[in-house]
Amino acid sequence: MPPLEVILQQAFNGLMLGVMYALIAVGFTLFFGVLDVIHFSHGDIFTLGAFAGLSLTFLWGAVGLGNPAVALLLTFLGALLLTGLIGVGAERACVKPLAKAPPLMTLLATLSLGLVIREAILIFYPRGADPKPFPAMLPQGLWEIGGVVIRYENLVILAIGAGAMVLVDLIINRTRVGASMRAVAQDAEAAQMMGVNLNRTVDFTFFLGSALAAVAGILNGLYYSEIHFIMGIMGGVIGFSAAAIGGLGNVYGAILGGLLFGVLQTLAAAFIPRGSEFRDVVAFAVVMVFMVFKPTGILGEKTIERV
Amino acid sequence: MLEVQGVSTRYGQISMLRNVSVALGEGEIACLLGPNGAGKTTLIRTIVGIVRPVAGSILFRGERIDGLKADQIVKRGIGVVPEGRRIFPKMTVEENLRMGAYADWGTREVESRLEQIFDRFPRLRERRRQIAATMSGGEQAMLAIGRALMGRPKLLLLDEPSLGLSPLLVEQIFEMIQAINRQGTTVFLVEQNARKTLALAHHGYLLQKGEIVGAGTAAELGESDIVRHAYLRA
Repeated sequence: MPPLEVILQQAFNGLMLGVMYALIAVGFTLFFGVLDVIHFSHGDIFTLGAFAGLSLTFLWGAVGLGNPAVALLLTFLGALLLTGLIGVGAERACVKPLAKAPPLMTLLATLSLGLVIREAILIFYPRGADPKPFPAMLPQGLWEIGGVVIRYENLVILAIGAGAMVLVDLIINRTRVGASMRAVAQDAEAAQMMGVNLNRTVDFTFFLGSALAAVAGILNGLYYSEIHFIMGIMGGVIGFSAAAIGGLGNVYGAILGGLLFGVLQTLAAAFIPRGSEFRDVVAFAVVMVFMVFKPTGILGEKTIERV
Repeated sequence: MLEVQGVSTRYGQISMLRNVSVALGEGEIACLLGPNGAGKTTLIRTIVGIVRPVAGSILFRGERIDGLKADQIVKRGIGVVPEGRRIFPKMTVEENLRMGAYADWGTREVESRLEQIFDRFPRLRERRRQIAATMSGGEQAMLAIGRALMGRPKLLLLDEPSLGLSPLLVEQIFEMIQAINRQGTTVFLVEQNARKTLALAHHGYLLQKGEIVGAGTAAELGESDIVRHAYLRA
């Protein structure tokens, strides 16, 4: 049994990772809920979000934007918008044209798009194969409470992640476009009969999901101080697993699944000897157990079609 | 009000509707009778733009609506109670009703319409916060009708609203349809219950295997051989 402060420290670190996973997972679950598709390039959209954020920080440096808070805000807004629009483009290119094709076609198309995105970053981003240092934009410093170290920047990351989730909840439950998303998810044809514009709703869903992936991407850069063109492979697999644990189609399930996955990873590191090497093994083993005993996920109701 | 002229539709290679023409004047109740699989629901789905016709035209208040998207069509003043009611199962009663006024979302107008619907269906007011899927069949039917009325339709399309309901509830639903019509809404009622429907409608059509095989006033239809043999068993 490791000491309590180690467990608490790891649980806190797990929460940090979990928030990022949850943001990716919410995108997967939104796409599945509204359109019944699994968007396999979503992990690479997350990478794009991180690179968009990084590029914007250079832009602010070049134009001499001094205020760090403003720079941070503009980095987020710019990357959200850009990545959201790219997500809509991905949907229009690889999802909508295949709406009437077998689901396998959408799977292949989005998997291929992911490859295209990765290779594009590798080739077109200057020295794209190297890990890119991500600037520290958050307040530095730390608290120590009973042996648990809490960095200010981690608190800010948590707050931004939590804020993004609250915002998504408000959009889905309190706005007109959110109502159209829920209506389409429950019965697309009836939604259209009520006057919902199906294309616009689907576009917005992909914008929202992809913008959240951008938030996750930037937070990932701020947390690890480094981003890499292949980070979306793991990010996508974990985000998808988290959405599946939570129950595909359920937003709260995806958040829960993301947090659970993050905490599992870090607790595995705390409890198992040499656990940090096996943390993914442990976390994915739990995913497998979940899929065997509760294939619809924690909060899922829809039956999941095998793809 | 509504003119369907020579409309044909296909589903893949299969021909669904063939040269179907239907006309409704303002303030009327017209009905569409026909057995299962005749294409009644397809006609409703074609009018609202879910299915695109391959031939023919559809005019609503003098303007062509065939080829428009569903959301554009219903916005012009068509309310739908689809087959099987198709309420949003995970939304509350109130949320379902608000979806009916989607085009006017967030306006004061919606609140006053909501009150009117609750006055008309007190049961829905009581169940306002209940999840729609947990309601009884009769309540769901009322919800579906209330939802369609939330858009203040000039034309109300009802696709077998009485299906699966007890005789007493069927009676209530038909009375409601009559009341709605008396307040100025044109009604197009798709039904299998011929006797009750013909008692309510001004005129009607008979659809079989995708073709209109009979048309006339309710009295004429009631006396026609096809209807008598197929539906009234007289």
